[in-house]
Amino acid sequence: MNAPEKTFIPVPQEDVAWLGTGPVPAKPYYDPDFWELEREAVFMRNWIVAGHVCELPENGSFIRREFEFANASILFVRAKDGVVRGFHNVCTHRGTQLVDEAQGKSSTFSCRYHMWTFGGDGALLSAPDFDSFDLSKKDCALKQVSVDVCAGLIFVNFAKDPEPLREWLNGLDEKLESMPVAKAVTFSEYTYEIDANWKLTYDNFQENYHLRFIHTRSGEAAFAPENPFGYPSAYGFHGVHRTQTIWSNPQAKPKPTQAVAYGKAAVGAMADDILTSPTGREYLALFPSFFILGSPLQNFSHVVYPISATKSRGVIRLYWVSEDRNASERFAREHITQVAREVHSEDRAVISAGQKGLNSGALEVIHFQTQEALCRHLFNGVRDAVDAYQREKSA
Amino acid sequence: MSTLPAGFEALTPFVEIWAVDGTADRAALRGSSTADQRQAFYDAMAPLLEKALDHLDATPLGEHDAAQQRLMNLTLSFAHVALAIEVQGPDEAKHTPNRDAMVMTRAPADNN
Repeated sequence: MNAPEKTFIPVPQEDVAWLGTGPVPAKPYYDPDFWELEREAVFMRNWIVAGHVCELPENGSFIRREFEFANASILFVRAKDGVVRGFHNVCTHRGTQLVDEAQGKSSTFSCRYHMWTFGGDGALLSAPDFDSFDLSKKDCALKQVSVDVCAGLIFVNFAKDPEPLREWLNGLDEKLESMPVAKAVTFSEYTYEIDANWKLTYDNFQENYHLRFIHTRSGEAAFAPENPFGYPSAYGFHGVHRTQTIWSNPQAKPKPTQAVAYGKAAVGAMADDILTSPTGREYLALFPSFFILGSPLQNFSHVVYPISATKSRGVIRLYWVSEDRNASERFAREHITQVAREVHSEDRAVISAGQKGLNSGALEVIHFQTQEALCRHLFNGVRDAVDAYQREKSA
Repeated sequence: MSTLPAGFEALTPFVEIWAVDGTADRAALRGSSTADQRQAFYDAMAPLLEKALDHLDATPLGEHDAAQQRLMNLTLSFAHVALAIEVQGPDEAKHTPNRDAMVMTRAPADNN
């Protein structure tokens, strides 16, 4: 009998040595001063995923999203012309927040304080006794932020004149467009808060070294004797962004209910023509803190939004390209969402335990091995952005 | 009322606890139920799961009658409970608080 063909070869150290091999300073993972720098240098200058166009189905649809890192509440609005725009949720009269609802539909936004009323394109339409101001209405439009859409994902950028989204995506726009998210009409969502730095949180989801210890039961299908840690089969680097290719374990045995759910979901995915995808095992990481897995049956995204140096908030979504067509599809999606939540649940406690350790200041450095190369790449990207920002400030 | 479509009478004793609307509530129920309740429900539902889905698939989702909606909600609760039995086993109690911190905020099944 022939030995089964070996399907796994780990990414060798020499392939990622260009990222460096030495220790990484620990302070950026807990220090409030460093957080203030990366807030300015990273979060206020990059494209941040805010939502999905399926949340704005009609002209007049809006969503309100809070961005703690920018201290901002933003309204994303699909106006009469169909274009999605972003505005500060701030009346230009004296600053009152315009909208309390998380989402809705409205062709105008009126401030409850003095009834200034704005259109979906942000223009000031009317204001009582406006002649008593020494002002022109055209100078009173809502303050706009840069918004663009790729693969259905709504991105926001707080910089004045940001690099166009497609250029910033550095070649990953086509991969994104090939994923189910680009055609999604609805999604499942769960969220969490965590006492941990955004990088420490995010890094957990871009290394598999911990899987066999933290996800001993829920991650069982990822391990095999030839790949005992369930490491990815490839890494890719695209400027500040990065990718990994999930290893497919030929010996994985799905649990009985998972087998039923995935079988039912595959029927729907086949009807939607998304079952076979070149990006089905691609896990994209967009700088600074967005992930998406291309899997046709479990197309999940994960955004880590920082709140402070040691506090973050995560939003995980599973995107679906059709409404539930029947009971089997509804059951499959309910189960597949819980399969993802099952695994993510197990990470939160151990990440905050890591944060407690770092907060003590006991460590000057932390360490990344070859298969934690994506964590190192994120650190390098942040470090370079902060260095450039500091040079710019001192120039 | 705890009526279920004909052929699913064996699940009637489980309707009161497990035929629950809303994904977030079903997720919470997995954690608040006892291990014995979960095991009994799993044992009764597992052999009928595919039969139940086949039955429900024959009627469009929006046209399910009350008995069918109960059966639908039983299968959806099973989608949660199956993980407790098949994946977590003895670790279920330890896993529950971690899971509760991952708050379900939206699911397609919530749009009945």
